[in-house]
Amino acid sequence: MSMTLTSGETAFQARSLFRSLLRQSSQFAAYNFREYAKRRTKDAFRENHDKRLGEREVQELIQRGLKELQMMKVRTLGTRRMVEGWQWE
Amino acid sequence: MIRAALFQSARCASRSVIRTQLPASRAIAPCLSVPSTCYTPTSRYPGIRCYSAPAGLSKTEVEGRIMDMLKNFDKVKDASKLSNTSHFSNDLGLDSLDTVEVVMAIEEEFSIEIPDKEADGILSSESLD
Repeated sequence: MSMTLTSGETAFQARSLFRSLLRQSSQFAAYNFREYAKRRTKDAFRENHDKRLGEREVQELIQRGLKELQMMKVRTLGTRRMVEGWQWE
Repeated sequence: MIRAALFQSARCASRSVIRTQLPASRAIAPCLSVPSTCYTPTSRYPGIRCYSAPAGLSKTEVEGRIMDMLKNFDKVKDASKLSNTSHFSNDLGLDSLDTVEVVMAIEEEFSIEIPDKEADGILSSESLD
């Protein structure tokens, strides 16, 4: 999404999203999940990095990223509980 | 904290036990004082041991660790330009995403968390100070 060319605010938003996704990825307790999440995050951002996208498309992608982040938050919680031997309610 | 509290309570307990025991063992049976004297050295703890070094990292050590990390970062194109003042995107050929990754790697290396606003301002090795 060509972050260097988009307006500063959006670029910052995207970088911040990238950062929080990576941070959340490292919360996975299991090695395979953790590495996959990191790789997936990097690949997804790389994929749209060089494209020239309009403001609306960029916002859509950011929304998608936020949704993934929410999902990841739930997932990291789940795996951590399972590894520590918690029981689901 | 729990360990420190445990040690303290164990210490107090052993002291009080010995204090109450000593006169009794002297008066009644001298042979009983032998196990109590054997017991006292083991109950004396050297205090709480600290595993962390009191001093922080020196600047040269921090620089060295960051340089090693950047050298091993696979997207740095020519390592010859690597110095204390090299700019990530201008000198090392990293884009904005790589810069974020470098900052994340630094966070991991030193087990710290850099807030978003500050992490965005890190664009060269120089600004890492």
